[in-house]
Amino acid sequence: MQVLEVSNLTKRYPAFLLDSVSFSLEKGHIMGFIGRNGAGKTTTLKSIFNLVHPDSGEVRCFGLEMRENEREVKQRVGFAGGAVDYYKHKKIRDIIDVTRSFYANWDESEYRHYLSLFSLDESKTPLQLSEGMRVKLSLTLSLSHHAELLILDEPTSGLDPVSRAELLDVFLYLKNRGVSILFSTHITTDLEKCADDIAYIAKGRLIHTGSLRAFLEESAANGIGASLEDIMVYHEKERLL
Amino acid sequence: MRRLWIKEFRLAASPLSYLFLIAACMTLLPGYPILMGAFFICLGLFQSFQNAREANDTLYTVLLPVRKTDFVRAKYAFVCTIQGIGFLLCAALTAVRMTVLSGGTAYVENALMNPSPVYLAAVLLIFAAFNVLFVGGFFRTAYKMGAPFLMFGIAALLLITIAEALHHFPGLGFLNTTQGERLGLQFYILLAAAAVYGILTLLSCHSSRKRFERIDL
Repeated sequence: MQVLEVSNLTKRYPAFLLDSVSFSLEKGHIMGFIGRNGAGKTTTLKSIFNLVHPDSGEVRCFGLEMRENEREVKQRVGFAGGAVDYYKHKKIRDIIDVTRSFYANWDESEYRHYLSLFSLDESKTPLQLSEGMRVKLSLTLSLSHHAELLILDEPTSGLDPVSRAELLDVFLYLKNRGVSILFSTHITTDLEKCADDIAYIAKGRLIHTGSLRAFLEESAANGIGASLEDIMVYHEKERLL
Repeated sequence: MRRLWIKEFRLAASPLSYLFLIAACMTLLPGYPILMGAFFICLGLFQSFQNAREANDTLYTVLLPVRKTDFVRAKYAFVCTIQGIGFLLCAALTAVRMTVLSGGTAYVENALMNPSPVYLAAVLLIFAAFNVLFVGGFFRTAYKMGAPFLMFGIAALLLITIAEALHHFPGLGFLNTTQGERLGLQFYILLAAAAVYGILTLLSCHSSRKRFERIDL
């Protein structure tokens, strides 16, 4: 069953074109969304969540058209665009008090579990947290309402190696519970540890989507490289020449 | 919608929006352009918009399980609530000044606008100008607020000047009366201003929702 279907997503800016991006994500799968800086990863993720208004294309979550069913879909999806970057002077407790009232499936015990797992102190403000801890707070928010699909923009970029490893363990734990995860990253080694599928975007065009293992095997067989990093460097370098 | 409205008060609002409601007390000042009170109430609301922008309130809100355009409706609901409280305070103080304080020498000799139903109508028109020019202007970009507030400031000062000047024109003295038969006409003017406020606010909200839907955050 597909939890996310992106079809021909197109967004034109004066100096950039997100060109007819299409991919899909299966239930219980982890998909890594890779590409260079400025390749269109954030624009794609924001378009999926209706933060950016695409010129054309369709996004369906759980079989529902996103724009037509925004409230229902958002109840079942968690979006974290990196670290918590809002209400930096408010106590986390106060932010959560308001936030929980919006979610029908808010799970207080799950929330407490992740607070403890990530060593987050509710009496602090986001301003008092490091970048990495604010990423963890953002994830805690997404995980506390039993999201069935997580869309995460660079969730590991501000984390130390131990926190990254912990987070990847959390991803695998969630995957086993049937949660689907789409996350963008530059750290390709993270993907090799946990992703089932990848979507690779370059200059606004999707150049590959599908099974990560098959992509790695095919690239190795073609002499392009054995790791995602080698493959990315190969493709992007070729473009520069 | 109720939850978003509560969120506006608990997370996004600046305390100055509440503090500036005290400006309604200007209704009691003799020899002072009392409509400035309505302008200051709007200035307090401006502080909340500024506070919310700095706190990244837009991003937080659109990530919640709400429609993107619900954010716009919540902002208008917040603005109308504060304006409603401000208007009720002005109305209560107008009633006090028109009754128990009506004999005070300073009030009797007041050369400027007296608190009356026409004064309350002008308060509503200033609030309507804020909703159209500032709130509507803000939602063109969802972050630029300097130019929209300047536009509102100019419009508010023009409205205040016109309201203060009108009753000095021959035949329009009834606009500043606080008693007598012509008072009934003032209530019709107040009703008309309330209708203008409601219609302009609804139209502004409608067009802001359309604009905001197309904004890339």
